[in-house]
Amino acid sequence: MKGRAAYLASRVGWALLTIFVVVTFNFLLFRILPGDPARNVSKDPRLTPATVAALTVRFGLDKPVLINTESGNPFDSQYFIYLGSLTRGDLGISYAFRDRSVGELLGGALVNTLWLILPAQILSIGLGMVLGLLAAWRRGRSLDVSALTFSLFMWSLPTFFLGIILLFAGSSWFGLPTAGRITVGAEFGSYWEELADIGRHLLMPTLAFTLVLLGEYMLIMRSSVVEVFSEDYILTAKAKGLTTFQIIRDHALRNAMLPMVTLIAINLGFTVSGAIQIESVFSWPGLGSLTVSAVRDRDYPVLQGAFLLLAIAVVIANLLADLVYGWLDPRVSEA
Amino acid sequence: MAALIEVASPHSAPTAPPRHAIRILLRSPMGAIGAAMLLLALVVAVAAPLIAPYDPYETVHVTIEDIYQKPSLAHPLGTDDAGKDVLSGLMYGARVSLLVGFSAASIALLIGGLIGIVAGYRGGRVGSALMRFTDFFLVIPDLALSIVIVAIAGQSLTNIILVIGALGWTTTARLVRSQTLSVRERKYVLRARAIGAGDRHILRHHILPQVLPLMLANMVLVISLAILAESTLAFIGLGDPTVISWGQMLNFAFGRGAVSAGAWWALLTPGLAIVWVVLGTTLLGTALEEALNPRLKRHHLEKDRSLAIPPRSAADLALPAPTRDPNGPILQVRDLAIEFESPSGPLRAVDGVSFDLRRGETIGLVGESGSGKTTAMLGMMRLLAPGGRVVGGEVLLDGEDLLSLPDAELRAVRWSRISVVFQGAMNALNPVRTVGDQVAEAIRVHEPGVGRDVPRVRAEELLERVGIGRQRFDTHPHAYSGGMRQRAMIALALACRPEVIVADEPTTALDVMVQAQIMELLASLGREMGMGTILVTHDLGVVASSCDRVLVMYGGRIAEEGPTSTLFSDPQHPYAQMLLASFPDIAAPDRELRGIPGTPPRLDAMPPGCSFAPRCPAAFDRCRIQRPDDYRVAEGRRAACFLLDPEASHRG
Repeated sequence: MKGRAAYLASRVGWALLTIFVVVTFNFLLFRILPGDPARNVSKDPRLTPATVAALTVRFGLDKPVLINTESGNPFDSQYFIYLGSLTRGDLGISYAFRDRSVGELLGGALVNTLWLILPAQILSIGLGMVLGLLAAWRRGRSLDVSALTFSLFMWSLPTFFLGIILLFAGSSWFGLPTAGRITVGAEFGSYWEELADIGRHLLMPTLAFTLVLLGEYMLIMRSSVVEVFSEDYILTAKAKGLTTFQIIRDHALRNAMLPMVTLIAINLGFTVSGAIQIESVFSWPGLGSLTVSAVRDRDYPVLQGAFLLLAIAVVIANLLADLVYGWLDPRVSEA
Repeated sequence: MAALIEVASPHSAPTAPPRHAIRILLRSPMGAIGAAMLLLALVVAVAAPLIAPYDPYETVHVTIEDIYQKPSLAHPLGTDDAGKDVLSGLMYGARVSLLVGFSAASIALLIGGLIGIVAGYRGGRVGSALMRFTDFFLVIPDLALSIVIVAIAGQSLTNIILVIGALGWTTTARLVRSQTLSVRERKYVLRARAIGAGDRHILRHHILPQVLPLMLANMVLVISLAILAESTLAFIGLGDPTVISWGQMLNFAFGRGAVSAGAWWALLTPGLAIVWVVLGTTLLGTALEEALNPRLKRHHLEKDRSLAIPPRSAADLALPAPTRDPNGPILQVRDLAIEFESPSGPLRAVDGVSFDLRRGETIGLVGESGSGKTTAMLGMMRLLAPGGRVVGGEVLLDGEDLLSLPDAELRAVRWSRISVVFQGAMNALNPVRTVGDQVAEAIRVHEPGVGRDVPRVRAEELLERVGIGRQRFDTHPHAYSGGMRQRAMIALALACRPEVIVADEPTTALDVMVQAQIMELLASLGREMGMGTILVTHDLGVVASSCDRVLVMYGGRIAEEGPTSTLFSDPQHPYAQMLLASFPDIAAPDRELRGIPGTPPRLDAMPPGCSFAPRCPAAFDRCRIQRPDDYRVAEGRRAACFLLDPEASHRG
């Protein structure tokens, strides 16, 4: 149990360190690059001079960047003010939606993004595992060849392009909506009708996302299963007189899951990238759309907050994957 | 088993030399198609100003009728949202895609290659710090980060290339690091270092030649990723507004009403152009990787394609015809033949092996590596490594032919009546299940009627018997020592009290004291339970102390068989004589040890006559033409050598 606790502690520690680095990196990114927010605030023609002054003070943009060497308090700097407001959950106020806080905007968008990501992830991981397993078992046969061809094609198809094709097909053949989360201005008789309307909006984005992820997961599962199937302990299981089904269920599956878990974690960045593209094609009001519209409006507080949230989400999901790995593989946690 | 696979597929060297790789690449249809697709895109990109029907950068006066025109002779792919020719846009767009792809990939490869080589070659703190750095970049969502950076730094082509390059190096770094690490530890590099070669020499002459081909394959994949990244940025509206790119064409069409106008040409063609280039690079990259690093793609759960062909007539064999006498031998193997697939046709690894095993008897199967010992044993139970199959013979277990049993009945026989102590028990035990559970599983499967608790109780007793102790029932294999794992493997093999147990090099890689303990354990348990044991080994000392009879194998055949004491004191076959002479004898410490000159024949170059003839000091013409049959030497002794042919006048 001691090994398990140490493993847990080291993974959580690594995640915390990564989050700290991400936060600092995120801060510096918006201060160092040309066209930093301070200058942009003052250049934004939509703002009154009074607002500019208020914002400048609010973000402490008149203060030193990292460490305050002039006043007696070294922590009276932009960096530490930023850290302080982060711990209070204060991410600033959006330039574009001036009356709303960034935190509020991000919260709503995150919920919508999860509505899109979770069903697609669950579907594609489940399907990918089953199809990858079958392809590996039937290596070289028609199922395997079609699975490989599908994966290769999916890999080469830009996610946004697949989204456009499905959007086109969905609207012209099945009369599905092309944008948004819900039909604007519609009156719903019941909660269920409203849910059904959201479902109609979600159908094609989910399908597009599932297909994009599926190719990757199938390929990973296939190679992982082929690898495990050629291990010596599979030969032992076969010599023990187990049926192929028993060998797969009791000896191969858990071992094949190990690289799968690692690669799902590594591919989380890929998931985020997919979500950004699908959301912007289908105007799905999630984090991806928010990021893209923040880019268009040069809404730096929102952009900074969205990036921070995405990066931290990926770090946390990575941590979860590490913990699942430790649970699946006794060698990691009992060593 | 690993050695066998190497013999069976001589082309599975981990990294083939580059020239060889290029030949494979050109022969693979995938690589050729990919290269052709990419080449076409390149030609179009270079020749765009010459072949494009219009100049898309030219400002022209546009009327409303020019917008989204259907494909026609004047505009083969129609016009876009600004009334411009789509085909010309696609041709010019190829320039941007390929430029960004190649330049960003070069940057990524430079960074990744440098970090990978330093991390792999230096190792230690610098190496692990660099890998932590890489891990950090691996978790940052790269599209989100590149959006942020391009949005702040400005949407110029240079910025886009720099960002994609600076974020795309992580996979290269990991790949190069692991390759550098493995090359660094190779014998010839260690030798070069030992004779005083400097870092520079080693890097240039040993590391780089092994790393560069790998990076080339990786580069192709990084290019495809860079092209995808560029088009995604452009689609989101973060492309360089001064140049035409495919992603930007899609962005404009999609954002400016092509969907509602039904202008599929303006939407589909730029997307398909991206697919064309990325598919081409991916095909090429996959083929390159395959050529550089051919993987073993066979596995243990493929369909068994063994054939049951009865042996030649019993008259040909030196052994008596098989019997069904209940007091007769428990295992009778007749004329067992096994082949492995290879690129040059089937290779025969076992060629007519016959022997008997009596109840309670221990026989030793000895011979050099590659003589077919393990293959013959696995073939008996139809457990051959992928690519191998039994092509003839009979394996009678208590009168029942294992080679012609239907699958379900064969499964019932496996382990309950004939079980194996595999060599290298580390890999033979499942790492994610407890040792005790793996022992109990055998009992659960073969004796389903015994109830829920019995398998665990019996498995605990077995662990106790082999000296592990029941308290380690719930421990995973990685927490066991090598000797303990081997004991666990023996407990597992005994779980269903089989009649025959095959112990395949049960003590290799263990220290001498543990070896002796394990052998003693196996022998005593075998006697006690009345099992027939086949001990596969190349350790003649072990055979002398624990076997009743010996089979000497060479080139896939039994060279000589006899009782241990007489065969050891008076070997007949020249190979047996030389094998014994190469082994130290405690009783005669002054005897000179002699190795056997030459090496065992490769499966793809078997001599036509006696397989030992090329190394045999006593060989004569007949040995090189004709294969010797078994000759009876004395009661229970036989050898396959023309020197023993009673009808021949020697050295004729």
